[in-house]
Amino acid sequence: MAKKDQRMSETETEEEETEAESMSESESGSEEQKQESKGGGIDYIMSLPDVPRNLPPHVELQRTRVFANIDAPTHTDSIQYSGAFVSVGLDNSFRLDQFRNNFRVEVIRFSDDGMDMEFDMIGIDPALANAFRRILIAEVPTMAIEKVFIANNTSLIQDEVLAHRLGLIPISIDPRLFEYAENNAPNERNTIVFKLHVQCAKDVEEEKGQSKKKEKEKEKKVPPRITVKAKDLKWLPKGSEFYLESEDSNSNSTSKLKTYTSFTCSQDSLPEFSNNKIGFKEPLDDINIARLGPGQVVLLEEIEDEDAETLKKKCPVGVFDIEDIANGRKRLTVAQPRACTLCRECIRGGEEWEKRVSLRRVKDHFIFTIESTGALPPEVLFTEAVKILESKCERVISELS
Amino acid sequence: MDPPPEQVNYICGDCGMENTLKPGDVIQCRECGYRILYKKRTRRIVQYEAR
Amino acid sequence: MEHGSYADNNNATFSLTDEDHTLANAVRFSLNQDPRVSFSGYSIPHPSDNRVNIRVQTTGAPAREVLKDACQDLMMMCQHVRSTLDVAVADFKLRNPPKKDEDTDMK
Repeated sequence: MAKKDQRMSETETEEEETEAESMSESESGSEEQKQESKGGGIDYIMSLPDVPRNLPPHVELQRTRVFANIDAPTHTDSIQYSGAFVSVGLDNSFRLDQFRNNFRVEVIRFSDDGMDMEFDMIGIDPALANAFRRILIAEVPTMAIEKVFIANNTSLIQDEVLAHRLGLIPISIDPRLFEYAENNAPNERNTIVFKLHVQCAKDVEEEKGQSKKKEKEKEKKVPPRITVKAKDLKWLPKGSEFYLESEDSNSNSTSKLKTYTSFTCSQDSLPEFSNNKIGFKEPLDDINIARLGPGQVVLLEEIEDEDAETLKKKCPVGVFDIEDIANGRKRLTVAQPRACTLCRECIRGGEEWEKRVSLRRVKDHFIFTIESTGALPPEVLFTEAVKILESKCERVISELS
Repeated sequence: MDPPPEQVNYICGDCGMENTLKPGDVIQCRECGYRILYKKRTRRIVQYEAR
Repeated sequence: MEHGSYADNNNATFSLTDEDHTLANAVRFSLNQDPRVSFSGYSIPHPSDNRVNIRVQTTGAPAREVLKDACQDLMMMCQHVRSTLDVAVADFKLRNPPKKDEDTDMK
């Protein structure tokens, strides 16, 4: 497949060169000046308006696409070095206006609640796209429970496990409203306090049983149990209700916030904290994905009739479609290139298929999928991430000056 | 944390008898002489890191 | 942050604390696109330390200034990314108002 491309590109460039030469001859006949400078050779040829200023097509293809071949992907690196194309008279150095012209963001979808979004970022180097992704995952602040104070936990879940589980609950509060607590004393600017006080009421359970058939009650000799969810956490706007033992009780007034959270549960109870049920708004997860742009499935030749049918069946995600052409014949089309996972199932059939289908991916096209935990909308999360990268740069600049 | 030596309650692993021990006491049930004692859960507030 | 450099200021290694691949890789990308740079690379000497070393060798310009310019370029790009995203999101929301409105429109 690569060979074919190369051959194609060679013929193209040759054509262009001959064209340019013929043009230069005709022009040089009319103008003396140019005839003189023609002695300069390559410089003169390069200065002609007809000489292509771009890379040869096959190099351009290798620069912008990743090829998913059957054995291994090729041309996977992004070419960053400013002088990479000096030999063909091309400057690869960074120019902001060029970046501005090429960079594009296309929003693909928003979920109904506006907390999930998908967008394409086109015309940006993987280094930057990956920086955004990494910051989104690890550095954009979110509110979470950090310290757990347990007064009386008689449940089956150990204190440590319970504390860990509580720490996993995403809290839908804008973290930008708060300061970093770090090791500072908790105050109303850096801390929120929740109280968890649940009890498994034995009586209620039994009453319910009695109202129904007594036989069933006998059958169901299950100890009473309750499920504790995130909504059982009560916000204490006035701060902790626990008093420090060592200090005087009056010094620990309610005006000062202290992160004390209590969990109390009666005996023979079984509170269950299941991850997917905990949430303050909706069932929540938090996933930030950036994946390299949509798959590009290129049919190197037209595939028709039976071959089209077999190839369509081969693809597990339904990239291909069949369209009817004249005379009752069918032709394969690439209908859903975005769905392609580069599984290479379509070229696994052997060399014959590899010659006919090429799987590629655009190097500077990224699909971002951001699922917010509910505290901030995804577009704000992303802007925050970009701001964090900016502040990192700012820090370096200020420390160098 | 607590300067005065406190008496701590333990439960005997064999007979279930409640024992109070001070630092330096022999670890042994007063009732049956069993040498495995379990500490009772504290009534104090305990702090955990949610990690 | 330290600055390890010899008598000539064309070549230098910068040691950034509390940074990782996130910044270093982005800066390396930006440096490599600068025609004044003859070599740039970064390394994380030990995965447990929050530290990254960035090596810059130039063809004549002071390495410190080149690194500053690289960061400046990154910031400009970030600002452009931010504004572009804002425009794109605003556009999308204008074209696709919340679902309730869509439903009523359809009916």
